[in-house]
Amino acid sequence: MAVVDWVYDGLLALLVLGLAAGALYSLSLYRAVVFYIALGLVLALVWARLGAPDLALAEAAIGAGLTGVLLLSALKHQPNKARLMGWPWLPGLTGIAILLLLIMMVKAVWGLPQGMAAVGQAALLAVPESGVEHPVTAVLLNFRAWDTLLEVLVVLLALLALRQLTLPDETFPDAWPLLLAWSRLLAPLSLLLGIYLLWRGADAPGGAFQSGALIAAGLLMLRLVGLSPALPWSRFGVRLSILIGPTIFLLAAMATASLGAGWLAFPPDWSKALILLIEVAATTSIAISLALLVGSDSRELNQ
Amino acid sequence: MNWALLSLALPLLSAFWVLLVRRAVSETILFATLVSLTAALAAFYQVQSDPVQTLLLGDWTLPLAIRFELTSLNALLMVLTATIHFLVGLYNRFSRHGSGRYSDYWPLSAVLHSALVALWLSRDLFNWYVTLELLTLVAVALVTLSGPKAYRAALGYLVLSLIASLFYLLGVALLYGEYGVLDLDRLSALAVDSANTRLALLLMVLGLMLKAALWPLYLWLPDAHANAPTAVSALLSALVVKGPLFILWLTLTQIAPVEFAQQLGLIFALFGSVALLSGAWSALRTPYLKTLVAYSTVAQLGYALITLGLLLRWQTPELATALWLFVIAHALAKVSAFLAAGEMQATFGSKELIAVRGASQSMPLAMFAFAVAGGSLIGLPPSGGFLAKWILLQPLFAEPAHWPWALAILLGTLASAAYVFRVVALAFDRYDVETELPQTDALAQWLSLLPALVVWGLALISQPLMLWLSTGANP
Amino acid sequence: MTEFQLFLGLGLLLFLLGVHGLVLSEHTIRRLIAINVSGGGVFLVMVSLASRGDSVDPVMQALVVTGLVVAVSATAFALRLGSALTRAESSDREGDH
Repeated sequence: MAVVDWVYDGLLALLVLGLAAGALYSLSLYRAVVFYIALGLVLALVWARLGAPDLALAEAAIGAGLTGVLLLSALKHQPNKARLMGWPWLPGLTGIAILLLLIMMVKAVWGLPQGMAAVGQAALLAVPESGVEHPVTAVLLNFRAWDTLLEVLVVLLALLALRQLTLPDETFPDAWPLLLAWSRLLAPLSLLLGIYLLWRGADAPGGAFQSGALIAAGLLMLRLVGLSPALPWSRFGVRLSILIGPTIFLLAAMATASLGAGWLAFPPDWSKALILLIEVAATTSIAISLALLVGSDSRELNQ
Repeated sequence: MNWALLSLALPLLSAFWVLLVRRAVSETILFATLVSLTAALAAFYQVQSDPVQTLLLGDWTLPLAIRFELTSLNALLMVLTATIHFLVGLYNRFSRHGSGRYSDYWPLSAVLHSALVALWLSRDLFNWYVTLELLTLVAVALVTLSGPKAYRAALGYLVLSLIASLFYLLGVALLYGEYGVLDLDRLSALAVDSANTRLALLLMVLGLMLKAALWPLYLWLPDAHANAPTAVSALLSALVVKGPLFILWLTLTQIAPVEFAQQLGLIFALFGSVALLSGAWSALRTPYLKTLVAYSTVAQLGYALITLGLLLRWQTPELATALWLFVIAHALAKVSAFLAAGEMQATFGSKELIAVRGASQSMPLAMFAFAVAGGSLIGLPPSGGFLAKWILLQPLFAEPAHWPWALAILLGTLASAAYVFRVVALAFDRYDVETELPQTDALAQWLSLLPALVVWGLALISQPLMLWLSTGANP
Repeated sequence: MTEFQLFLGLGLLLFLLGVHGLVLSEHTIRRLIAINVSGGGVFLVMVSLASRGDSVDPVMQALVVTGLVVAVSATAFALRLGSALTRAESSDREGDH
């Protein structure tokens, strides 16, 4: 490997480490949150560096974007009085323990073989039969579609769990004019980009989750400037759009089990259409669910 | 296998339906649970003629596909899951202290049902990670149903569960890094004794022990289980902690190198013995009724941990029969105990244990249910709890070197007898009975008695039961 | 040492640091940040393992996408649960006075 690569990798690694330390050990909570958001962005760079653009997209939208908004808005409700725990000798002592553990773990994993894993190779070989061209999408929506169904369910569940809480009022601060202007521009842009990613996901990096996250981010920006309509749980359409993803997914599984070759075995002629249908439904559900998870106000869900 | 899939899908589908239309919520879910129970029974019947059925999801070949496996053990666990959901659902629908006909208890418990069935069926390490996360979120959501007073316990449970998931996931990733597969059987065929494998398994074990509330990682359990609504406490104690235990048992018996498994086994057995005593000690000291029942779960999980530990230590797969009998007997007994305790707590209007004084007169049925369930928790013959203990004790008595373990189990038995009698004795104390008896709910009390009667009934079918569990446990 | 080993080691370090941060802190937001740093470490381990071959392992990438979505959902719920808890406890205190 070239020296330049080494320097680049080394700098990235140091940056990740520094930002993580900042996120964990900053005395100011606000600063910790900012460090964490920056860490998400740098991790997206690392994924791109390691050849995983799907992840870079997902990380930037989900890891840095949505989680960042979440942390910042949680900061409003939870006073910044907490410090790290009191005993002065504790950080040093546990720090030594961490170092020892790290040495042991690195020694254990050092000998891991080079080359791609068996499942990965099998997946690449099976892509032509999957109905889509992009390997990651093929894994998510065909080879391991069951995982993905359960994962869409996890998002729904988080929202249902949120519905049980008595939340403090979520009042976004009055946006200043520049932000307002930017958000007006950015929100439709991220919605468009989200839809583009979904459409492109069949043969290039992109797909339901990345695009769902981007659309959710767009909806949040609209909400930030007060342009987004309320999405109350009591409205049938809102519930339908939240439930449509998991429902279509599950119905497809049941249909393939009773009529076709087996649970989630898409017939070759239909697989492309089925995957597209599931992706569109899942994207809708994920986008609305994530937007509500991050930015719903207290009355929207508890009805 | 199609019956099993039906049993898996129906609760989920009914949950989506009631969330969408918001009509006839409890009726729909109860009906779906009943059909799911029937389907589970059909799957169980089917598995008698064809003992191990596998399904490769999506019709892909291994190692690419996620694999489902149906044995008589997990068919039985599916039947148990559906039965308990149905009973607890009936209680929640008809008791005066249920959550109401339209609350989100219904869709949430239905998702919990499906998540558990998905876990019993799956044989894929990463798929298990997703089911575990699902299980965690649904369990926390159910705990928060009891309102702001449960938020602290719910948050503690969630935070620990999330970090536990990451331990598990890191372990899975390291195994994938070494062997390149996620399927349990493939891993079992490939696994060798290497430092990386040991590290990976250790990380997974830590995560799963935390999720299953096995001693010493149980501290989140009493708060979460005692603060949840009664129906939810029953589901959590009876079923949710058994999911991670199932994964722990399968991964360690299938993947762990022998020498490592033996070392872990000794630690497990020691921890289990401590859990028996410390759980019982806490149950003896707590002033609250539901907390007592929750600590009893910590203690009872000690039996499971000892059994798993000795199974690994001596490499005797036969002990799995005892392990799963413990799980089934404990699940049924604990449902009874929680429902009876919750009914008494609500009727007397106090969380304190002292409130049950004189309950043998005012609520004889609920008290009887608690005592009968307690009998199985102690392991009185001929209950299901006794049966499990008997199978475990036989190899222990056979050799003098094993007697210390038998002693630990005996002490545990005495300790559990102590906390059960602590409640029963108080209930028979006639001192200071109010002249005016509180108004009681007969149906709810009968519902709490039912599972306790089933657990004693297990003794009647002990022979076939042991056969089913042993064939399911050693494919 | 190769590129994959560098990031593998870094991932393990992040995981451990996150656990360390979790043990040391009591505040909900700090604990959630710590969990997410740990999660980032686990994902880093997974992606570095995925990048060992000539092309990147699509299965591992898909698993990380799944993991990210699970993580953000759980984090969202946990943070808002934390806010709800703060509110419930402060209104309790007001009720006492």
